[in-house]
Amino acid sequence: PEETVTSSFASFIQAVRPEHLSKTVRQRSKRMILDSIGVGLVGSTTHVFDIALQYCRELYSSVAVSSVYGKPGVKLSPTLAAFTNGVATHSMDFDDTWHPATHPSGAVLPALLAASQMLPPSTKPNGVDFLLAFNVGLEVQGRLMHFSTEAHNIPKRFHPPSVVGTMGSAAATAKLLSLSTTQCAHALGIAASLAGAPMANAATQAKPLHIGNATRLGFEAALLAARGMEANPLILDDIPGCSGFSAFYSVYQPKPLSTSSDHHEFLLEKQDIAFKRFPAHLGMHWVVDAALSVRNLFINYAGSFAPSLIRNIVLKIPMSKYINRPFPTSEHQARHSFQFNACTALLDGEVCLSSFTESSIHRQELRELLDKVVVEHPEDNVANFDKMYGEVALLLHSGDVLTGKCDTFYGHWRKPLSKESLLKKFRSNASHVFPEEKIETIITLVDNLESLSDSSQL
Amino acid sequence: TITENFANVIHGLNANHLTDQVIQRSKRMILDTLGVGLLGTSTEVCHKVTQYSKIYSSDISSTIWGHLDFRLPPLYAAFVNGVAVHSMDFDDTWHPATHPSGAVLPAVIALSEAFPQKKKISGLDLLLAFNVGIEVQGRLLRFSSEARNIPKRFHPPTVVGTMGSAAACAKLLALDQLKCKNALAIAASYAGAPLANAATQTKPLHVGNAAKHGLEAACLASQGLQGNKQILDMESGIGAFYTDYNPQTLPTLQSYPWLLDQQDVAIKRFPAHLGTHWVADAASSVRKKLVESSDNLLPLEKIEKVILKVPEVKYVNRPSPTSEHEARHSFQFVACSALLDGSVSVQSFAGENIHRPALQELLRKTQLEHPPDNTPSFESLYCEVSVTLRDGNTVSDRCDTFYGHWRKPLKKEDLEKKFQSNASSVLPAEALEGVTETVYNLEKVGDCSVL
Repeated sequence: PEETVTSSFASFIQAVRPEHLSKTVRQRSKRMILDSIGVGLVGSTTHVFDIALQYCRELYSSVAVSSVYGKPGVKLSPTLAAFTNGVATHSMDFDDTWHPATHPSGAVLPALLAASQMLPPSTKPNGVDFLLAFNVGLEVQGRLMHFSTEAHNIPKRFHPPSVVGTMGSAAATAKLLSLSTTQCAHALGIAASLAGAPMANAATQAKPLHIGNATRLGFEAALLAARGMEANPLILDDIPGCSGFSAFYSVYQPKPLSTSSDHHEFLLEKQDIAFKRFPAHLGMHWVVDAALSVRNLFINYAGSFAPSLIRNIVLKIPMSKYINRPFPTSEHQARHSFQFNACTALLDGEVCLSSFTESSIHRQELRELLDKVVVEHPEDNVANFDKMYGEVALLLHSGDVLTGKCDTFYGHWRKPLSKESLLKKFRSNASHVFPEEKIETIITLVDNLESLSDSSQL
Repeated sequence: TITENFANVIHGLNANHLTDQVIQRSKRMILDTLGVGLLGTSTEVCHKVTQYSKIYSSDISSTIWGHLDFRLPPLYAAFVNGVAVHSMDFDDTWHPATHPSGAVLPAVIALSEAFPQKKKISGLDLLLAFNVGIEVQGRLLRFSSEARNIPKRFHPPTVVGTMGSAAACAKLLALDQLKCKNALAIAASYAGAPLANAATQTKPLHVGNAAKHGLEAACLASQGLQGNKQILDMESGIGAFYTDYNPQTLPTLQSYPWLLDQQDVAIKRFPAHLGTHWVADAASSVRKKLVESSDNLLPLEKIEKVILKVPEVKYVNRPSPTSEHEARHSFQFVACSALLDGSVSVQSFAGENIHRPALQELLRKTQLEHPPDNTPSFESLYCEVSVTLRDGNTVSDRCDTFYGHWRKPLKKEDLEKKFQSNASSVLPAEALEGVTETVYNLEKVGDCSVL
């Protein structure tokens, strides 16, 4: 029988083996796991996290087997633990970003962690199984995004983690639970009916829920499929007149996954991930690096950073409504504001966790700088994480112009964070919640993931 | 903003605004939905979700309709009951198209059971919240011309149903305006499931999830979670689910014009997609012309072919369905069942009936035609059934408005008959009476948890 796209995905999920993972893929995915955990740990100190946790604890108590980031002793039911940890991961917009655009790890890791705690001791997955399932979750997300050219640019309609993230979580969990091919297909089908959140909630407190729900609902879809729930077996295929997964795109061209028995090329092999250096939308990282470079020029020119000498600050950025905010008032808005991040970088010489506190956001000096900002959208600056650039120009009262431009920020996949930088980020994040020995233990565990016999230790 | 306007209305509507007609119609909807849900608890899909939901149990809990043996947390009770309501595609349908009650009633009932002892919810509170949930759905559906026709991309209950559930729960929780707004915003991030899962076992989950997620959104909003305050205004908000989206503010609260007043729902007489109800009525009447008395069998050998003139609706066009879910979404199947049996009922979709040789034979002779004037809208579609006999004669009939449609609503006795038939599969006779009485007198009920 002719193979459908959906069945090719189901076969892939079911049949792929650890041997298919290449060295690069292993290494990259372990970096992602470490970063994701760190980001989740620091995220467990946020207000949105508190709300999500309180909500889950009030409504559910028993069969609580799964842990919550940063709260030793607290346990929740598996899907709710996944939800809470997913919210933590995305709470500060500090988690990884891929190309085409989505936040892949946060949608997958929490579900896998919760699921591995859920399984009985006799069938606990080992580190290799875990790593494989994680990569299945990433791969499915990447492949789905390649079905639409719309996915290559910064999104406008649906927030990608809520679309492909849910599917990735379903795939990863299905893999970890060793579901049959048919069950894998149904997991994808059920997950599609749980996918899709509009962009409008980005830059609000509700955005972290997108990742929380992606990981939770994908997990639920797999659990339901495991119990025999059936969905449309052609959910990924293009059926005119009755939309399946294609409902989320206006242009949709699905392709089957190849499942040759010995070799599968994972997308992560060819396309690495970007790790953020500070907790804000990825686009901010370009303007910040550009701002830092022009700041140096300015200091050389004037001896110190003297805002009074500046007449205007011109930002040359791509056109994207939800990250263009001249005067953000909340931390969520600030994380999604080119203007805010550029000015913070100019003022402080860095952007970090504390740049987004209430007092930092409302500083008088910052407001004054924001007043001087002018935004331009050059035609060659495409709203695409692979191609965009950021340029910051200081127009001084004296008539001089100083410019800084950034094509590839440090942390982008073209200029990946070094191992030391990644560990530094992790240690800084985790230290908000854990003592030093614990932090080092986690680092070692993830680094040696393949040799772990029981992944629920993680 | 429109979002703020919605929040104000949700917050500001009170029992005095309910008109008699709205009260009467909504009580009919509640009764029908309960019956359909009770029946639905016996389905396979419902068993699966119940098993699944049992993973979670806690101190705060709500009941599964018809089952007193265990309780679930409110969210999962809402989910399971919502699945039950839509499990057989037997629940109400509105215009513009959605299944309004299933997304709202399970959520408000579950929520009302979860309130602490000291704070009782009256029947009137429940009725009001229910209507807020229905009203919000209807208003949202009017924001896009796409919504007037039978859907193609997103299944409407998952889009507007989630929002309606959030609104209804926000009302029941008596959230302030700001929290009502946030409930809507958060709910939007849960909304939207593609149509492809219609006619599969997953479809009932659409209504279950709408109820559950709307409730969750309201609970999160109640705890202070915030979303986009212009969620209804922006194209990248609820507008993301439509290609043309024109939101409008709601009317003022002064003598509020409820949509349910102007536009009633359709109640189904048998558990299948609404479009098939026209087909069933036309086919039954053709059968009467072919067969002298209802005891006689349909003369299959004499039939050359059967032509159904229906609107073009891909997901209800199934020449040979193999599962009950597919059968419920098949013009052809329902037409042939009606021709063979004279009427369509719950039993028509049982496994053995789906695979009957006589039915299969008749299905092979059945074709669809899509006249250009037959628009895929529940307001205007029609169905014509023509049976051509081997001797050359043709017997046909046409149905413009089936019995149960809003233009020809079910009489009180027939609505009750449907409820009794459904509920009796799970409840004892005295309970049946009790529920019916309670729903009819809902406004006077002091503590709606008696329901």
